[in-house]
Amino acid sequence: MTDLTPGLLMIIAAGAVPYLPHHFRQFFMLGAIVLSAFSLTAGAGVHWSIPVFGHDLILHHADHLTLPFGIIFHIAAVLNVIYGWHERKAMEHTAGLAYAGAAIAAVHAGDLVTLFIWWEATAVTSVFLILASATERANKAAMRYLLVQVASGVMLLAGAALYWRESGSWAFAAMELGSLGTWLIFLAFGIKAAFPLLNGWLQDAYPEATVIGTVMLSSFTTKLAIYAFARGFAGTEYLIWIGAAMTAFPVFFAVIENDLRRVLAYSLNNQLGFMIVAIGIGTELAINGAVAHAFAHIIYKALLFMSIGSVMYRVGTAKATELGGLYKSMPLTMVFCIIGAMSISAFPMFSGFTAKAVIMKAVGYEELIYVYLILLAASAGVLHHSGIKIPYFTFFSHDSGLRPKEAPINMLIAMGIASVLCIGIGVMPTQFYQILPYALDYQPYDASHIVGQFQLVIFAMLAFTFLMRFGFYPPEIRSTVLNTDWLYRKLAPWALLPVIKSGLAMAKAAETAVVSSAQSIMRMTKDMSNHPISGPVIPGPAAVVQVILLAMILAVVYAALG
Amino acid sequence: MSNLDPNLKKMGNYASIVLVVIGLCLIISEFFVHRHGEIALEDLPIFPVVYGFVASVFIVVVGIGLRVLLMRGEDYYD
Repeated sequence: MTDLTPGLLMIIAAGAVPYLPHHFRQFFMLGAIVLSAFSLTAGAGVHWSIPVFGHDLILHHADHLTLPFGIIFHIAAVLNVIYGWHERKAMEHTAGLAYAGAAIAAVHAGDLVTLFIWWEATAVTSVFLILASATERANKAAMRYLLVQVASGVMLLAGAALYWRESGSWAFAAMELGSLGTWLIFLAFGIKAAFPLLNGWLQDAYPEATVIGTVMLSSFTTKLAIYAFARGFAGTEYLIWIGAAMTAFPVFFAVIENDLRRVLAYSLNNQLGFMIVAIGIGTELAINGAVAHAFAHIIYKALLFMSIGSVMYRVGTAKATELGGLYKSMPLTMVFCIIGAMSISAFPMFSGFTAKAVIMKAVGYEELIYVYLILLAASAGVLHHSGIKIPYFTFFSHDSGLRPKEAPINMLIAMGIASVLCIGIGVMPTQFYQILPYALDYQPYDASHIVGQFQLVIFAMLAFTFLMRFGFYPPEIRSTVLNTDWLYRKLAPWALLPVIKSGLAMAKAAETAVVSSAQSIMRMTKDMSNHPISGPVIPGPAAVVQVILLAMILAVVYAALG
Repeated sequence: MSNLDPNLKKMGNYASIVLVVIGLCLIISEFFVHRHGEIALEDLPIFPVVYGFVASVFIVVVGIGLRVLLMRGEDYYD
């Protein structure tokens, strides 16, 4: 049974989810995830492949790189089921389970075609998490999201086909950038990893999903792309600079964004940057760092989305301008949010610290001074928008007057488990590092590192306090901050609309011309049949049309024979 | 904005004081801990202190600038 692709059982089980009664359904989903996780014990190697057109589709391939992603994706799927327990409608549960299963199956794809199938499956299943919001705004965002994701899939397939022609193989293994095929695959991954300029979909769509949907979305799609880069393009130098840009740019947007779930989407983007830099370096130490960071990140990012989701579930909004002062009404949610915030900010004793330390060490080891300084500044930025802004504007700041109930028990349990994992990874680095792809002999806890890290985060916090006290901190304003989705939501329609309009006008003119000429022919034939030049009256215009058609056919046949 | 909960302001003040005290302790700790970083620049005295503070202020200042350029009404896309 362990030969079955991990995740496949979840996808099959998702088919039954809509037909099951509420509580039973949740247990059923947990059961499916646990059974699916058994396949992770199969060990390294190819466990299942089917021959198609003389090639093998490798449906289950496992090694040191797939295992950590397999484990964390299953953990995230379990957390999602618990967090969404209260939801009686089946749509998000069905989509969520299938989506998680597709992402897990994608990680175990041994060839590019299988990868493509699951790659698209993650897109098609996850779009329902946005559609489930059932607002016009969400529907539009969902369609944009789907277009971008499917575009990524199409590029992957085209790339895979070209790559196969060049190399005679469609195995999913390390590739060298250079040909059109590999560039297409690289770009397909880049879209899903939310590269700079290709990132608009992430901040556009994630905050429009449902409360549970956003938590689910935050775990899988982008981390699947991280896995794909780690397998396909480790050591590709471009990635170092792309990743550095990714850590830096979203930070500025996050500072001025009002929707807190969108702020988290920006910070998700920034965290991906750290992983991309590490993959670009590509040494064993760096790949360990990327995987460690992906692993820790999935948990604390989900935790942050869960805490803001709980607030949204209770008060109906995640906008900083509408929130504040909730620390008394939702104290447990606040504690969990702060644990998530301290984890992402890499406070010592929290998961972000033990994970990010490995990446920073890898960057320092390669003496990439500028990259190192960018990442360090971006770390301060993360602290700002995720570490401080999220909990501060939600639970403190000014009193919004809102007095909601504490989050439902199932949400608290999910957040509690995520918090324990965040702290567990933070205090037990040695055990944590054991699941990484390569052996790692590293101890992040020495006096020097602890003091240095505390200095960085505490003085970044002091900067926030200073700016707040003296009124320099930009106040929260209800607004839209333009992001790269502006390019296809505003610029492209604006630039293309005249072209489309003139095209339509030309078509209209052509249509009018055809219609009016047809009408005049009809009129002529009528005239001719009513007023023959000689001989008898021709019975009706139909005969004239037939004569004209016959003449045309004759002309064509003569031309063809001649 | 009306402050309905008077404790919030007090809590803010306490938090600021605690942060300043911790900050001072961290600067003093430089004299007791031989701190070294992953790159040579980081070995300079109180480098993380200065860098953390300056980077944060820089980010916020650029953010304020970006608002002028990129901020639109809430219903911009509707």
